[in-house]
Amino acid sequence: MQRMFMRRVVLALLLMLAATALTFWLVTAAPGNVAALIAERAAGAGADGEMIAKIADDLGLNDPLPVRYARWLGDALTGDFGVSLRTGKPMAEEFAERIPMTLALLTGGGVLALVLSLAMGIAGAASNGGIVDRLLHGMALIGASTPNFFVAAMLVIVFSVWLGMVPTFGVSGLTSWLLPWITIALFPASVLARVVRVNLQDTMSRPFATTGFAKGLTRRAVLLREALPNIAIPYMTTFGAQFTLMIIGAIVVERVFGLNGVGAFFIEAIRFRDFIGMQATLTLFVVFFVSINLLVDLLAMLADPRLRRPKKA
Amino acid sequence: MSAPIYQVEGLVIDLYTPTVSVRAVDGAGFHVAPGETLAIVGESGSGKTVMTLGPLGLLPEGVAVDLRGTARADGKDILSMSPAELSRMRGGFFGVIFQDPMSALNPMLKIGPQLARQAQLYAGLSAQEAKKEAVSLLARSGIPDPEDRYDRYPHELSGGMLQRAMIALALAARPRVLIADEPTTALDATVQAQILALIRQIQKEDGIAVILITHDIGAVSVLADRVAVLYAGQVAEEGSAIDVLTAPLHPYTRGLLASVPDFRSENATGTKEIPGIPPNQAQLEAGCRFADRCELVQPQCRTHRPPLVKVGTGAVPHRVACPVVITAEGIVTHD
Repeated sequence: MQRMFMRRVVLALLLMLAATALTFWLVTAAPGNVAALIAERAAGAGADGEMIAKIADDLGLNDPLPVRYARWLGDALTGDFGVSLRTGKPMAEEFAERIPMTLALLTGGGVLALVLSLAMGIAGAASNGGIVDRLLHGMALIGASTPNFFVAAMLVIVFSVWLGMVPTFGVSGLTSWLLPWITIALFPASVLARVVRVNLQDTMSRPFATTGFAKGLTRRAVLLREALPNIAIPYMTTFGAQFTLMIIGAIVVERVFGLNGVGAFFIEAIRFRDFIGMQATLTLFVVFFVSINLLVDLLAMLADPRLRRPKKA
Repeated sequence: MSAPIYQVEGLVIDLYTPTVSVRAVDGAGFHVAPGETLAIVGESGSGKTVMTLGPLGLLPEGVAVDLRGTARADGKDILSMSPAELSRMRGGFFGVIFQDPMSALNPMLKIGPQLARQAQLYAGLSAQEAKKEAVSLLARSGIPDPEDRYDRYPHELSGGMLQRAMIALALAARPRVLIADEPTTALDATVQAQILALIRQIQKEDGIAVILITHDIGAVSVLADRVAVLYAGQVAEEGSAIDVLTAPLHPYTRGLLASVPDFRSENATGTKEIPGIPPNQAQLEAGCRFADRCELVQPQCRTHRPPLVKVGTGAVPHRVACPVVITAEGIVTHD
């Protein structure tokens, strides 16, 4: 168990290293010249070749890529992600302002996806082929195949424009979070609801479920007490994957709903060729991906008594 | 022999999947009295398990079941019960031991608390008493260090120990009828004997009725008072274990016994197989189910279903569904 844990942690660190190196290379390979951009900002149209060359030299942009990556990594490890070319503010400052917003979006969406998927999956399994089951199956299918920008637009039209229940834009109290949360949770909730439903069905046909019936449990009790604990591991693993994917949804949702988060910043950074902002944001995404998946793997290990308490020799 | 505590009559069970429909049980019945062990024998697919667990609603999910007949437990018709009533009956009146303890116990649940819960719900014990009862049940089932095992998960126990835990679980609600569905099939030979001995000991001490579903004639001879032989969903022969095992009448029973190796006889390899295969229960025809494989087959066997007829004068009725044998061997009938 402890060895497995250490292996996972080391693997996660290596993964982060590889992923940041890859993004570093991709960002520098993208069209556009950082030095030219900086020169343009400083001197407007008057930036000439000499000035650009001097800036590139100052920033060490002429060094080989591995050297530049090593330098970037060294800075990043001390928390220095550079200064955004677009806003002129240090990235640490940008993150401090924007991470809480994105975190609120992901946390609310994650909780909503969790609650919705469990409720839908369990209700479907309880109905077992009945009308509720088929209805929920259809809903999950629609939820998993509707793009989030469309969902967002529809929600805004119905709830903000027609009904005037919630603001269309920005953050003002809890109700303004409802539409973003629903938008971002719809896809993972639909996928996870199917995971719950299908795994519960499979578990209900296992011999220990029959033992549950033989113990005198009703079908509902077998479902909740005997089957549900057994789907914890596949559910947690899929939930982790879906939760990390929500960061991609956040890029769209933050833009549509005017939330000043990391996702919205990333889109602006790309539009502006803010290479430093892009690399910093991508690094943040990588750390988020890897650490959430690591956390979920470890929690899943703790949830399974066979892994938590290996058989005594 | 006292009156039956569980009695099934005229049971017909059809199983449906989206593609096929199978008549798994076709007008079969059995009964068992307190303190008695009934063995239900037959080959795989003969309907032993479906016949015994079907009325309890314990068939796997995903198979549609159509069930007719009567099943009276403690004088109550369990087939007309509501799902909730039947659940309580399953939990309290019946105890069930399954074939493979490795898969029949929930890997996510500790063993002891499940026993305690049964004792609390069905034997009316307090939480503390129930825990004590659970530990003593584990001890009684031959599990060493029961206090430690109480908090163990199934993967921490061996197959034999798990089957003992399964037996303890089945007994925790103090059932009146214990159903053991091939309780030794998944176990090592040495463990098999221990498990059978444990079931016999429990039976003696508690005086409960035991239904043993098996194709192991050895287990039958060790445990059973009475035997019912099932073939293709019908009872071919039933009677006391001594009558059926030592003086079998039905050609199928004779074939079944002849196919078991007898290590005590000088000719230990002298087994004899029954020619042919059991009928396809999705397409049954009129007449005796065994006709195609039977050495004694007569023309009427293929057109008329043979009735179960009482023969002999023993205290335990001996019944056989083969008029050909009765006529050929001049057996006196009593029906």
